[in-house]
Amino acid sequence: MTLGAAVLMGTTFLPIATIVTEVSGRDGWMSILPGFAIGIPYGLMVLSLVEQYPHKNLLQISETLFGKWIGKIVGILYILIAGYFGGLLLAQIGDIYQRTTMPLTPIWVFYWGTILLVFYLAISGIEVFARFSEVIFPLIVFALLVNIGLSIPQMEQGELLPILSEGLKPLLWGGIKVLPFAMEFILFLAGILTFLPTSKQDVGQLRTGVWRAVFLVGILDMLVCLIQILVFGPAETNRLVYGFLALGNMVEVSKTVAGVGSLFMGVWLGAGVIKVSAFFFMVTWGLETVFGFKGAKWKLVVCVVFLGIAFGFLRGHLLISEIAFVDNHLILPFASVWIPTLWGVSRWKKGPDVQ
Amino acid sequence: MKSNRCKVGSLLILITCLIFLPGCGGKREVEDLTPLLSIGFDLGQKPNTYLITGQYLLQKKGPAGPEIEGWTTSFEAPTLREAYEKTNKIMDIEPFNGSTKLIVIGDGLAKAGFKDMLDFLQRFSEFRRSMYLVIAKGTAQSILDVELRNGEIPAMSIKKNIETANNISTFPTIRLGQYLTILGRKSTAPIIPMVAILKSGEGGIEYKTEGQGGKQEIQLEGAAVFRGDRLVDLLTDKETKGYMWLENNVTHRFIDTLGMGESKVNFSGHVLKSTTKYKVVDNNGKIELHYQIKTTMAVEEVLGQDEQLSETEWADLMSEAEKSLAKAIQKECELSIQKEKQLSLDFLGIGRHIEQKNPAYWKTVKDQWEQEIADFPVSIDVQVTINHTGMSNSSPTTK
Repeated sequence: MTLGAAVLMGTTFLPIATIVTEVSGRDGWMSILPGFAIGIPYGLMVLSLVEQYPHKNLLQISETLFGKWIGKIVGILYILIAGYFGGLLLAQIGDIYQRTTMPLTPIWVFYWGTILLVFYLAISGIEVFARFSEVIFPLIVFALLVNIGLSIPQMEQGELLPILSEGLKPLLWGGIKVLPFAMEFILFLAGILTFLPTSKQDVGQLRTGVWRAVFLVGILDMLVCLIQILVFGPAETNRLVYGFLALGNMVEVSKTVAGVGSLFMGVWLGAGVIKVSAFFFMVTWGLETVFGFKGAKWKLVVCVVFLGIAFGFLRGHLLISEIAFVDNHLILPFASVWIPTLWGVSRWKKGPDVQ
Repeated sequence: MKSNRCKVGSLLILITCLIFLPGCGGKREVEDLTPLLSIGFDLGQKPNTYLITGQYLLQKKGPAGPEIEGWTTSFEAPTLREAYEKTNKIMDIEPFNGSTKLIVIGDGLAKAGFKDMLDFLQRFSEFRRSMYLVIAKGTAQSILDVELRNGEIPAMSIKKNIETANNISTFPTIRLGQYLTILGRKSTAPIIPMVAILKSGEGGIEYKTEGQGGKQEIQLEGAAVFRGDRLVDLLTDKETKGYMWLENNVTHRFIDTLGMGESKVNFSGHVLKSTTKYKVVDNNGKIELHYQIKTTMAVEEVLGQDEQLSETEWADLMSEAEKSLAKAIQKECELSIQKEKQLSLDFLGIGRHIEQKNPAYWKTVKDQWEQEIADFPVSIDVQVTINHTGMSNSSPTTK
């Protein structure tokens, strides 16, 4: 559950308020939890395939159900999307740090620092990555709650009102904007299936884990968005690139402790490393499944690709629009079509035995 | 085996990075920095330039240990970054912006519009959106350059005055972030408190001056109303106090009934607690805004009371005091509402109140709100409760 929640959360708390207020205005916070909740049926579909095809990931299952070539094409798409998006997320870590706390530090320091950590986690294996997430994720949750709590005195009166003045339609657009975050997690789940236990009891626990992870992250991200709207108002929330970091900078405790935003930055790096690592693992699983490439040598190649993409996006404004593009136009359609199709075909092929 | 070698190799690289990399780029030692306390903006002499004044905190060695003093310099420049460049050319230590607490804008620039000067302050991550905004009567430079009688650095003095403003609640406290939030609302006109140099003999204050251009005082009083980033008009002290009541911004206040002409006995009260609520009411199809102010006070002065009163008479007098003080509050509020209607600028945020309570009606008026505001019906109900009258009942009498 913790690994799932950590991957699902990633650095979503940084752009989420900007994204939802753009389309849903001051009601944007209400679209976050339903948006994440769409991930639950997808997660359940993926887990239902575990029982049917134990110790196989969705790429292997795709080859079994769709045939070798279609399966390979799906696998290549999976690798390309995960590799490109992972590189963009690595670039985003550099962008976040340069914009907010260390404008003069060379950007390669952030790229190299992060990729070394990611590489170490990747060669150590999924168990070490899971343990790393178990240690870091509670810190992320704690830092988020502290940041939210300390921002309460800065709230403006009545910024949330009126509620639903534009009806439910803007919430639908907000939910659609949140959906790619859930789909990123589903793609990770599609790859990690090989390592998941397959007994009925374990799968039941995994299902509960998916519910819990989605609700935990959905509620946390909703709180993050809520506090930003309450402090900045919807127009400013939408205008700020990383509003939550600006909020951290505004924190004041009894007029003595101020500008503690940079203290939180270390924790946010942990969140970034988890997300980049998740996509790194996805690429390595894809390479292993589709082409049979495995070992440290190929992981080094993935590092080089990630770094290459990151260095190709040194312009922060282009990076942000590219991340949004990949989320909305690649990850969302790919995952939302692939998973239900695979699940549907597996049910169809299973035939009348299905209960 | 191979995997173990990789792990050890990665660990070694990580440890090397930890030892050598942190802070290697753009590191700054605290002793090499000088904190910027305040920035002032005025119109420059040349077209498209600004007179940018920075007030820094410098540390120097004194006989009893380190001492601090203000260091104020103004540059005429088209951008803030150019002013920084000029500052760096004459300073041997680097300015640190994260400590900036106050932004002072000269009234000349405020009339011309100051949005461009705020852009850097809200964009560069070192600055915080919690900086206070004030408008200078005259130039920001003159405010930051003034030598105060108490020897304090002007920026520090203004900051402290703002942070203790709740004791008298006579002017609003506006931070950069709040100003930008209000700007984002579109329907509400921003309001920023005024700061002025108070010479001896002005504003009912007198003090001993030490030669020409000697030490002076700074006063925070009144407020400036903006359309976007352009100053439109100034609110008097009374109008600003009315704004404070209507915005539910009064924590503590001193208020008296002098000049009300209600009775020969006057009262001055100390507000202990105050709450303002509002309702948007539909009065036979006409939408109105109704304010309800509930205030608890202590009466601290009774003036013109010449006769000793019994307990019952004293209780009656206090009932009268409650009514008189309520009228005094109502008068301040009405002055503020009158100004809002006269300017056709919604600095009271009435439009936002309507939007919050009756969004359907708001949609019908929002596009012509500035025209609507002039005739929009607003009513006020003030209730004053006097908790006590201090250590005595009747006043000392001569009869």
